[in-house]
Amino acid sequence: MTALGWAALGLAAAALPLLTANTYYLYVGANAGLLVIVAAGLNVLAGFTGQISLGHAGFYAIGAYTAALLSVKAGWNPVLATLVAVALAALIGAAVGAAALRVSGPYLAMVTIAFGIIVEGILIEWVSLTGGPGGVFSIPRPTLRGSYWLILAMAALALWLVVNLRASAWGRAFLAVRDSEVAAESLGLSAHYVRTVAFSLSAAFAGAAGGLFAFLNGYISPDSFTLQTSILFLLALLFGGMGYTAGPVVGALVLTLLPELLTRLTDYRLILYGALLLLSIYWLPSGVAGALARGRPRRQLRSPASAASAGERPGALGEEPVAATGPTLLRIEDVGVAFGGLTALAGVSLTVAGRGIYAVIGPNGAGKTTLLNVLSGFTAPDTGTLRLLDQAIARRPPHAIARLGVARTFQTAQLFAELTALENVAVGMAGRRLGSVLAALLGSPGTRRRERALAGDAAALLRTMGLGEWADLPADVLPAGLRRRLEIVRALATRPRLLLLDEPAAGLSPAEIKELDAQLTALRAGRGPAIILVEHHMDLVMAISDRVAVLDDGRVIADGSPESVRRDPAVIEAYLGAPA
Amino acid sequence: MLIQLVVTGVALGSMYGLVALGYHITWATSRTMNFSQGTAVMAGAVIAYAFAVALGWPFLPSLLLTLLGCCGFGLAIERVAVRPFFRASSPAWLLSTIACGIIVENTAMLFFGKDTRAFPSPLTQRPILVGGAGFYLQELLIPIVGLLLMGAVQLFYHRTAYGKQLKAVAWNAEAAGLMGIHIPRAVMTAYALSALLAGVAGVLLAPVLNVAATMGTIIGLKAFAVAIIGGLTSAPGIVLAGLGYGLVESFVAGYVSTGAREIVGFGLTILVLVIRPWGLLGARPTRRV
Repeated sequence: MTALGWAALGLAAAALPLLTANTYYLYVGANAGLLVIVAAGLNVLAGFTGQISLGHAGFYAIGAYTAALLSVKAGWNPVLATLVAVALAALIGAAVGAAALRVSGPYLAMVTIAFGIIVEGILIEWVSLTGGPGGVFSIPRPTLRGSYWLILAMAALALWLVVNLRASAWGRAFLAVRDSEVAAESLGLSAHYVRTVAFSLSAAFAGAAGGLFAFLNGYISPDSFTLQTSILFLLALLFGGMGYTAGPVVGALVLTLLPELLTRLTDYRLILYGALLLLSIYWLPSGVAGALARGRPRRQLRSPASAASAGERPGALGEEPVAATGPTLLRIEDVGVAFGGLTALAGVSLTVAGRGIYAVIGPNGAGKTTLLNVLSGFTAPDTGTLRLLDQAIARRPPHAIARLGVARTFQTAQLFAELTALENVAVGMAGRRLGSVLAALLGSPGTRRRERALAGDAAALLRTMGLGEWADLPADVLPAGLRRRLEIVRALATRPRLLLLDEPAAGLSPAEIKELDAQLTALRAGRGPAIILVEHHMDLVMAISDRVAVLDDGRVIADGSPESVRRDPAVIEAYLGAPA
Repeated sequence: MLIQLVVTGVALGSMYGLVALGYHITWATSRTMNFSQGTAVMAGAVIAYAFAVALGWPFLPSLLLTLLGCCGFGLAIERVAVRPFFRASSPAWLLSTIACGIIVENTAMLFFGKDTRAFPSPLTQRPILVGGAGFYLQELLIPIVGLLLMGAVQLFYHRTAYGKQLKAVAWNAEAAGLMGIHIPRAVMTAYALSALLAGVAGVLLAPVLNVAATMGTIIGLKAFAVAIIGGLTSAPGIVLAGLGYGLVESFVAGYVSTGAREIVGFGLTILVLVIRPWGLLGARPTRRV
């Protein structure tokens, strides 16, 4: 929807109380506004990070009861009471999210359902505080017109906050953990932390709507906060369109107005909801908003219009080279990994100096990828030690190792499909430095400045690496060769000390391999990071490597210069079989 | 009091286990499940009520038709809500089965009404008194039938040729498919069997809990909690978790309050998920990069 469309919609909604004196219309409109707020929050969780909650009625209830009780029993000012309600919902959301988001899919559905049922149970049981099944009465309420305008303004605010958030480093981080958790971790993002923040934000939005709900009605009871309410929240978002700004608006309007238009069919109301949910899963997988927006790009971060606007930054390709007298970059000692009875690595010891390309070759199943997974934290070694610049890194989580300067690519390129090439690189560049989430919500000048700088740097890096012309294309439309190169650029954007490449030439055409060769050679010649290269293309390996290690059956059988390894009888035997 | 609580707990717990086994069966074959399994419980009770009480048919044909109806219900759910999204990475099947559940439950309510209706059974006519505790014969019948059925399911999977084929699908669908096992049919069988077990639970519970269009939802949710606690991949874990859940629930309801029952039960579920996400006896998943 265009800015003009939004303005027209907002004006029409704001003018409603002046056009009609019918309080019923205003009340229905206010309820649609509340649903917009909740669905906008759920959009952050489900639309951006891809996690489903079936318990947000619990946060709606926490917001409503906190605001109501503070104003009724403690006599607080409604605005202050609502703010506290939002804060409490966000806090409980963070705690529930931190616990729940260790699991996903049906397990997460279970935790959130359980949370909702527990909240509902507490509302009914804790009679002295909540009034039990009877609920809370005589909550102070403004005039219906006042409530309507307030809720309308808050709904607009909610949408605006989410738009700002999506356009920030946080927004990209949300989509990154959704599209590829392992890639996000390999860039220094803690997927669990990022998702927990999204969960907490969505809880805060639901809490705000709950507080407004209490002051709109003047009366609340546990009946309004059941599992059905949670499902309705999710349905509004799904039907409207997950991930789209207009989604919550479309969904809330349809789900609030449709049953009112069919008042004679109240018995069919839930059947209608169920049918809408089923229909939207079948035929509108990205909702009404998604169906209308089909084919239109949803770029957020754009490359700067003029190529010269951002200066080429010197250190952009890696950390400052490690001083020759400093500690060894990476020391792998006696590392062993077994999967059940299968030994993947046994007694592997390697030492990587500060610079150059260290190739690891070997037959299929020799343990090469396992070695990279151990180095980047995706597989915990059973034995042995790993020291990066004299820090032990074995058994640390991937994002912690990434933050120490280890970047990697994957055998099948793990790009963030819905982000553009530029945004993919920007995720790597920002890494864990996402800034304040509040500033991102408000779109503060500092956040905008940082975004412009990031866009400039990312565009400059893409140009340096020869991918400038693809910057604004979504990653999932790029051909395989470009995807692999983009993945390398994204890894470099984290300014690593050590870059791990897992078969970067696999599946590339000879011309593409030539380009890769040039890219790696340039990295080695420049001030790039040290590289551990797992690769099968011997010509490439022998041409660009400073040192080659050969793995066979989980053991290092040779380690030395490309020339010496090529002549090593043990290596020849491993590749060609024992001489007769 | 104590005996009464144990009898009630074991009776309900065995039913949670039976319904939860249904989640396990479809999860193992297809990595999907009917999230509204509770509606199959309700369907069993309502169909049995329609034949045995409303139409006054004799017990055996009523039961037979009910079981057939439940199998058909499972097949319909599989066709409408699961197969189009089979093995999709998105949670589409989760939401579509919830949607079907809402539709079925409320459609049943149109015909059945909003009231709860009694389901007379010769086993709930007179309570038996044992040392001051009163309970119905039906409450003894429930766990016996439940445990026998769960045992039968295990025998089917471990002793019959077709059961072994289904196990093979659960173990490695791709390899099983290459060995000539018809995967879509295996999934259909799993859904029919899963709904059948839930339907039996509905029939057994009807005389104790009475029949209502909304009776299934909470049973289905608790059974799901039981499946998660026991471990979705472990049938023995689920049976034990079911009994445990039923006993805890019964004791909390007896000594604290019926409201606290759900708080404690679902609170424990969250606790287990946080500490052991793969369940008490489930297989710990390995991370793949």
